[in-house]
Amino acid sequence: MTNWIVLPTILPLLLGSILLVWRTPSVQRRWASALTFIGLIAVSKCLLWKTLSEKILILPMGGWKAPFGIFLSLDTLGAIMVTLALGVSLAALVYGFAQQSIEDEHPMRIPLIFFLVAGINLSFTTGDFFNLFVAFEIMLISSYSILTLEIKEKDVRHALPYLAINLIGSALFLCAGGIFYALFGSLNFADIAQLSAGYANDPRLIVASLMLVLIFGLKAGFFPLYYWMPNSYPSLPTPLAAIFAGLLTKVGIYVIIRIFVTVLPHTLLAPHQFILILAVPTMIIGILSALTQRTIRGVLCFNLVSHIGFMMVGIGILTEQSIAASIFYMMHHVLVIASLFLITGVVYRISGTDELESGGNIWKKAPWVGVLFLVQALALTGIPPLSGFWGKAMILQSAIEGSHWILVGSIVIASVLTLLSMIRIWFAFFWRDNPSTTLNLEGTGWKWMSLSAFALVLCTLVIGFAANPYIRLAQQASSSLFDRDLTINKVLSSPDIKSQSVHSESNGGHH
Amino acid sequence: MTTITILIVGVLFSTSVYLILQRNIIPILFGFSLLNHAANIFLLAVSGDPTGKKAPIVTLLGESYVDPLPQALLLTAIVIGFGVTAYLIVLLYRIYLSHSSTNIEDIYND
Repeated sequence: MTNWIVLPTILPLLLGSILLVWRTPSVQRRWASALTFIGLIAVSKCLLWKTLSEKILILPMGGWKAPFGIFLSLDTLGAIMVTLALGVSLAALVYGFAQQSIEDEHPMRIPLIFFLVAGINLSFTTGDFFNLFVAFEIMLISSYSILTLEIKEKDVRHALPYLAINLIGSALFLCAGGIFYALFGSLNFADIAQLSAGYANDPRLIVASLMLVLIFGLKAGFFPLYYWMPNSYPSLPTPLAAIFAGLLTKVGIYVIIRIFVTVLPHTLLAPHQFILILAVPTMIIGILSALTQRTIRGVLCFNLVSHIGFMMVGIGILTEQSIAASIFYMMHHVLVIASLFLITGVVYRISGTDELESGGNIWKKAPWVGVLFLVQALALTGIPPLSGFWGKAMILQSAIEGSHWILVGSIVIASVLTLLSMIRIWFAFFWRDNPSTTLNLEGTGWKWMSLSAFALVLCTLVIGFAANPYIRLAQQASSSLFDRDLTINKVLSSPDIKSQSVHSESNGGHH
Repeated sequence: MTTITILIVGVLFSTSVYLILQRNIIPILFGFSLLNHAANIFLLAVSGDPTGKKAPIVTLLGESYVDPLPQALLLTAIVIGFGVTAYLIVLLYRIYLSHSSTNIEDIYND
């Protein structure tokens, strides 16, 4: 069963390749891709259940002994993220099926989604720094292609800033990998964790760790590094924008949690304080920018930036409780932001615009879309008993325990302003009568679209109303991240298959 | 030897930053290409001073050889760099086709 770790990466790659050859979009092709996702979700559920008892699952590729070969490892946090990634992708995929008829579907869309998901899942399961780089590149190259796949000819220019910033990020990532190898002579996470204990005050490690904050902050959208995001995301088709917004930023956050909690020494203060300092402007400036936006997607993109700040608070404080808070908040946020993007697509379909000025009337004509939006908007704001409340309460609790009063203030202000920005959308599109707007409710496409958005809404409702098991799951994930000795022992003492055969071969050579 | 490598990396990084900040997409293309090389040579420098060391082929004679791992990483990074550069060239070409200009200001004010 441990070998199953490789499935969330291999199967999407395999199916993506098959779909490259099986080019013509058809109903069978759609079923094949949706069923693959459903199967993978079942696999990831099994893996998640398995990690709860075994803490960490390890798969040495090719049987090479620990620090030498490439390693896949999956702990509870990784399994949670893999499940979420697959779930959100499935919802977005089905949503795309409802949105587009088979004749309109671009033959490359589904294969590219599979490659993107393979890259995302590989970065959640890798136990090795360089493999992480490769996973990021698979993910990024697919995302570049998706970004320009169905774009209008005039908008191709909006892909350039995204590409440019990620190319710089990749070059820095490679250099950071080099510094780690020069310092420790190893790129295996568990090996570095063991070796780095005495390096907390080493300026080289501090520089390398700040570089990591920069690189992954770029992907996650930390304060001065997020300007590319609101420009590139809105040019995507809705289901793909949901995958990008829900998952790609969270991969950045996940890697920061992985590296700063399980790999680098906790006594390394500079990067943690740096993250805490950046969290305040990320929350406040992000949400203030959301208030100035004129389109729904603009508001949502800046809300996304602002809420990344909440997760940064949990990471910066770095106690077992605060990391659990960040993990829980991440679970909630992936689902909420992805479903809000999907609902935006429904709103766009029935009112033909996503400008706040020209919308209206939806509450009268299609109240169920309004209910979906309202539930998610309130969950994003953090109204009890919806999922956002528990996450925010946990983060606030950790901030209060650490007496970080500026952070406490920023969280409260950002939450209130989130509500304000959501009310603006609610008022502009749902509540008010706008005689100049006519809604187009013909066809059943938008109903099916709302249905797949509803699946994600249902997930957030479950997380909100039955919060206890999910909070415990986040706490368990966090505590196994903090249990470093177990991880190190398990990885470095894994069965040694290859070196025995090498020994016997070299003995044979001597005779 | 290491000093020379460090100097090369420094020159490559600064040149690429200069080129990326230009207002024309052709220098930007070369800037990113150079940035890729700068990072690759940085990774090569990690394997240490190669003077007097053999290529990493184990012969059981106990000769010292250079650390092969950074070179393996480098190969992967070069291949990925190829792919991304190819994509970048096509993207810039499409931008040029749709705006018939190579100047960033013209393209974004269009």
